[in-house]
Amino acid sequence: MAYDEWDGDDETEAGRLVPLYMLVKGRTSPRNVNLDLATQVIAMPVDTRRLEPEYAQIINRCANWMSIAEIGAYLHLPLTITKIMVDVLLEQRYLGIGAPAQRKIADVEVLQTVLAGLDRL
Amino acid sequence: MDRTSVKIVVAGGFGTGKTTMVGSVSEIPPLTTEEVLTQASVGVDDVTGVEGKTNTTVALDFGRITISDDVILYLFGTPGQDRFWFMWDELAQGAVGAVVLVDTRRLESSFAAIDYFERRDIPFVAAVNRFWGECQYSEDEIRSALELQPIVPMVWCDARDRSSSKQALIALVQHAMARMLVARSASQPRS
Repeated sequence: MAYDEWDGDDETEAGRLVPLYMLVKGRTSPRNVNLDLATQVIAMPVDTRRLEPEYAQIINRCANWMSIAEIGAYLHLPLTITKIMVDVLLEQRYLGIGAPAQRKIADVEVLQTVLAGLDRL
Repeated sequence: MDRTSVKIVVAGGFGTGKTTMVGSVSEIPPLTTEEVLTQASVGVDDVTGVEGKTNTTVALDFGRITISDDVILYLFGTPGQDRFWFMWDELAQGAVGAVVLVDTRRLESSFAAIDYFERRDIPFVAAVNRFWGECQYSEDEIRSALELQPIVPMVWCDARDRSSSKQALIALVQHAMARMLVARSASQPRS
């Protein structure tokens, strides 16, 4: 494979080079239907050098647990795109995922924890 | 890995103080995330009045509260405009419930939100925002104007005030727990 040599220009100045829909390879929704705005993910300790910069940015943001909504807000990415990109990174094991946010009903024990936490605020 | 997200929706009509409430209890300044609607949403999104516009952006404000080492509470404010109902579904799914903010000068602006959560049987509390000064109506008057079912708690709050907003959240979580326990005991056969 041949790579173009870097000509010294900062590509980001000209705006986004690769349209977002190309980055997500035409996917219009995540395959993991349980992904939610509040689902939290974390970067796995793997080599990210082969990732597209847009994907690497997500990994860089996820040194600590971070929700999909937060990733979208910090990186100025639309939510659906963020969700699909996170989905891709989860499939490729660049990211790990927390407990499914989308339980039908959060259980009583979790709510007790939340209540105690709110009380301490 | 055990990392649990809990969601609460902060709803209410346009200008009822949703973002203010999220901001007053969140440990981070409220963040905004956006969803871009394209042609694909026509039919879902009522585009009357904006025909010819192919892209619309819906902004969602949200905040977070770290409850414990592994539980994070996320507070999502609903988009103010009625055109964005489909976003509500995404927010409401899996949520503990909703705090519906009410402005007594414009009660009707919260009808849609109350109706939404009632129809879907999602726990909610009505939080009357006293932001604008003392309220001239009694709780009974407001309850009946909003046609609140007796089981739905109503609280007074000032969305700018952290402890007041916190009390509204506590009222919601208590209400959601009570409903869950009732449902649980109803589903267990008596021995």
